[in-house]
Amino acid sequence: MKLPILTIVMTTIFTGTMLTMISSHWLLIWIGLEINMLSIIPILTKNQKPRSTEAATKYFLTQATASMLLMFTIVFNAMHSGQWTTTNIDPNNMIVSLTMIIALTMKLGMTPFHFWVPEVTQGVSLMTGMLLLTWQKLAPISIMMQMFTSINSIILLLIALMSVLVGGWGGLNQTQLRKILAYSSIAHMGWMMAILTFCPSLTMLNLLIYLMLTIIMFTMLNMNTNTTTLTLSNLWNKSPTITMMILISLLSLGGLPPLTGFLPKWVIIQELTKNNNIAMATVMAIMALLNLYFYMRLIYSTSLTLFPTPNNIKMKWQFQPKKRSLFLSPLIILSTLTLPLSPVFSTLN
Amino acid sequence: MNLYTSFMLITLIILSLPLATNILYVHKNKAYASYVKLSIAYAFITSIIPTTLFIFSGQEMIISNWHWMIMQTLKLTLSFKLDYFSILFVPVALFVTWSIMEFSMWYMHADPNINQFFKYLLMFLITMLILVTANNLFQLFIGWEGVGIMSFLLIGWWYGRTDANTAALQAILYNRIGDIGFILTMAWFLMYSNTWEFQQLFMLDNNLDMLPLVGLLVAATGKSAQFGLHPWLPSAMEGPTPVSALLHSSTMVVAGIFLLIRFHPLMENNNNIQTLMLCLGAITTLFTAICALTQNDIKKIVAFSTSSQLGLMMVTMGINQPYLAFLHICNHAFFKAMLFMCSGSIIHSLNDEQDIRKMGGLFKAMPFTSSSLIIGSLALTGMPFLTGFYSKDLIIESTSTSNTNAWALLITLIATSLTAVYSTRIIFYVLLGQPRFISMPIINENNPLLINPIKRLVIGSIFAGFFLSFNILPMNTPQMTMPTYLKLMAMAVTLLGFVLAMELNIMTNNLKLKIPSSTFKFSNMLGFFPTTMHRPIPLLNLYMGQNTASSLLDLTWLEKTMPKIMSKTQMTLSTTISNQKGLIKLYFMSFIASALMMFLLIS
Repeated sequence: MKLPILTIVMTTIFTGTMLTMISSHWLLIWIGLEINMLSIIPILTKNQKPRSTEAATKYFLTQATASMLLMFTIVFNAMHSGQWTTTNIDPNNMIVSLTMIIALTMKLGMTPFHFWVPEVTQGVSLMTGMLLLTWQKLAPISIMMQMFTSINSIILLLIALMSVLVGGWGGLNQTQLRKILAYSSIAHMGWMMAILTFCPSLTMLNLLIYLMLTIIMFTMLNMNTNTTTLTLSNLWNKSPTITMMILISLLSLGGLPPLTGFLPKWVIIQELTKNNNIAMATVMAIMALLNLYFYMRLIYSTSLTLFPTPNNIKMKWQFQPKKRSLFLSPLIILSTLTLPLSPVFSTLN
Repeated sequence: MNLYTSFMLITLIILSLPLATNILYVHKNKAYASYVKLSIAYAFITSIIPTTLFIFSGQEMIISNWHWMIMQTLKLTLSFKLDYFSILFVPVALFVTWSIMEFSMWYMHADPNINQFFKYLLMFLITMLILVTANNLFQLFIGWEGVGIMSFLLIGWWYGRTDANTAALQAILYNRIGDIGFILTMAWFLMYSNTWEFQQLFMLDNNLDMLPLVGLLVAATGKSAQFGLHPWLPSAMEGPTPVSALLHSSTMVVAGIFLLIRFHPLMENNNNIQTLMLCLGAITTLFTAICALTQNDIKKIVAFSTSSQLGLMMVTMGINQPYLAFLHICNHAFFKAMLFMCSGSIIHSLNDEQDIRKMGGLFKAMPFTSSSLIIGSLALTGMPFLTGFYSKDLIIESTSTSNTNAWALLITLIATSLTAVYSTRIIFYVLLGQPRFISMPIINENNPLLINPIKRLVIGSIFAGFFLSFNILPMNTPQMTMPTYLKLMAMAVTLLGFVLAMELNIMTNNLKLKIPSSTFKFSNMLGFFPTTMHRPIPLLNLYMGQNTASSLLDLTWLEKTMPKIMSKTQMTLSTTISNQKGLIKLYFMSFIASALMMFLLIS
């Protein structure tokens, strides 16, 4: 893809999301989402391979359905209440409330509508995958944040719980790193949505940390183009520092206590418990163990064991990666070591 | 009376000196054995002094040396009780041990670890003395366990042999069963009497529950090989002969009876426990006498006779005569140790042959051993004016005139008669007739290390009973009057046994027997007791253990319910969830289905 085209496409993606985030008019929000969705398609098909095309098709179909559903909701709401403002959705209107949830969770890739996430992520390159799992989440979540008061919380909790379950179980059976990160994304979306109706600022906190962690994970994997557990297990020889950083970031992503990733899980569990939602918190905590388990399995294959390798793999250290990575070190520090800063985050509340 | 305590302590110090020097490696040469023997001889001589003083003045004493510790309200002291029983038993034990040590120097002279053997014997002796002199249950327990452990080590002395190891294990396991009773009693006293001191226990309450007394009885049953826990004693004959002589005839096995004698003040008013003891003793004495009848191993016969005598002591306890039982303990030590030493002499001379069918005619080859064996056997059967007579005859008289359980008394009498039968059998097969052993061994009993100890014990077997009965005070009123036939009863049954056995031996000596009768099998297979008790019960326990602990708990509850089912569930769910085929139609199907379901759920 040529640079001017890439620039234009990227700007459009940025503009679409921004439009959604700053608007308070449903039509503009919808337009922003559409712009964003349409402009991401060229990025998805940047590598012109059948897999990418298939991924782009799946993404387009799903997102188009979700947009259509959103449009329907907006129109229905406008017909019903006679206005287009985001905050004024009638919570008693079941059809609006439900279709809104379905549309937005579909855009986010949550459980009953999650099937596209692993496959699309697997079909595209690592950096595109990163874009898909980070930037593309912003617009739907910002809508959610604006109108969470009129959301049917039971349905949302149900969807969140299912997402956490699927995120845990789905990742268990994977050797592909992009799929693992996709399932991890589903699980994290579940965590964010679970707390949304109780305390939206925690959703924000979780989103921030999730974004940082996903970005650095993809960046580090991209440095040596690691897409499977096998390639990851040969990394120790080439760039031991990155191996170790991947290891720590994975633990943080899994939510192991001394690392930053523990913070959102901790406060979310606390908040759920405070709201007498102990069962939900328990199930989510248990399923987080599954996530942690398959991250640990990655760590095991990366650093605690030696896969059978050809002899010349030992020479790989001579070829250092040439890919540049911006802000990798500060992001790693932020996403692993900032648990002591948790009082700062709690001021968001 | 300072001599009393000081000489007792000197005795104990002399005994512990060889252990100290052994630690310091002073005796690296062969002289250690004779050093131990000499120490015991000196200890015997010094212990004579307090005994003489006791006989002279009848004074009992308690030495409290060291305050050990306090647990809650329980005070533990290192304290020696020098009363009638301990002050009389100590010299007897030392005298017998002295002889056995000297005998061991002859018997074990070729053993490479002879120093260690002597050390073990000495440690055993010390623990035995701790047991008899203890003034509280804790100290008694130390001695009790000590003799058990040393017994284990000594029975398994020839550890290269499977039988010796099995016998050692058997001994320690049966003794553990007895220890359960002992510990039960200790715990009971701790809970209800709040003391382990004998004086306080006896002063507190003489009408106890049955529980601690039954615990004591179980303990005595284990240690003294009473019926039910008896099979270890004949098996223990796998150990060296000096061990059999010391541990399994004269000292350790009487510890159980000694325990009951110690606790007699608690039992004398309790008829139930006395009936239990009486019946247990009677069964033991008859059963083991029957088992002794058809054994062919000379040491096993003597072992079974020991068991039978222990049963007799238990019967004596059952008719409330502890002093008589104690007298029998002391008398029995002399002739039974000597019988074992004679067996050892014969076995050693015949190149480790123990089968009495392969002996015979030894009266010519080993005159001294033969004479001693005959004297010992006669003393055992209660021949008048030998040592055994003074206690055994009194016991039989007391039982005959007592009006308790006639059945138990009757079978005791039968057992007494059987004593004569198996004694005759030994004499007949081993000493009389023609030699049946191979002609190679050079038989020579003229070794001072063999002759002298047997000689001393022969003198003991002849006179000790007389001296003991003559000198010590009779604590119970002896039975003064009785009908003539009762007075002659013991003699009569013994003579009957002799005559019967002689007739039977002569009759069956040259006959080829038909298929063994079931009574013979019962006797020869030890009443089928080991066969029925040693296989099915452990098997049952092991099966139960396997089923409950291993299969049910480990493999089912701890393995299947949590880890296995967890991983299986997760695996199934994981494959189900991530098993998507990339079919977009199905994804939209899921969308429609979920949407419809949600609407249904809400409306």
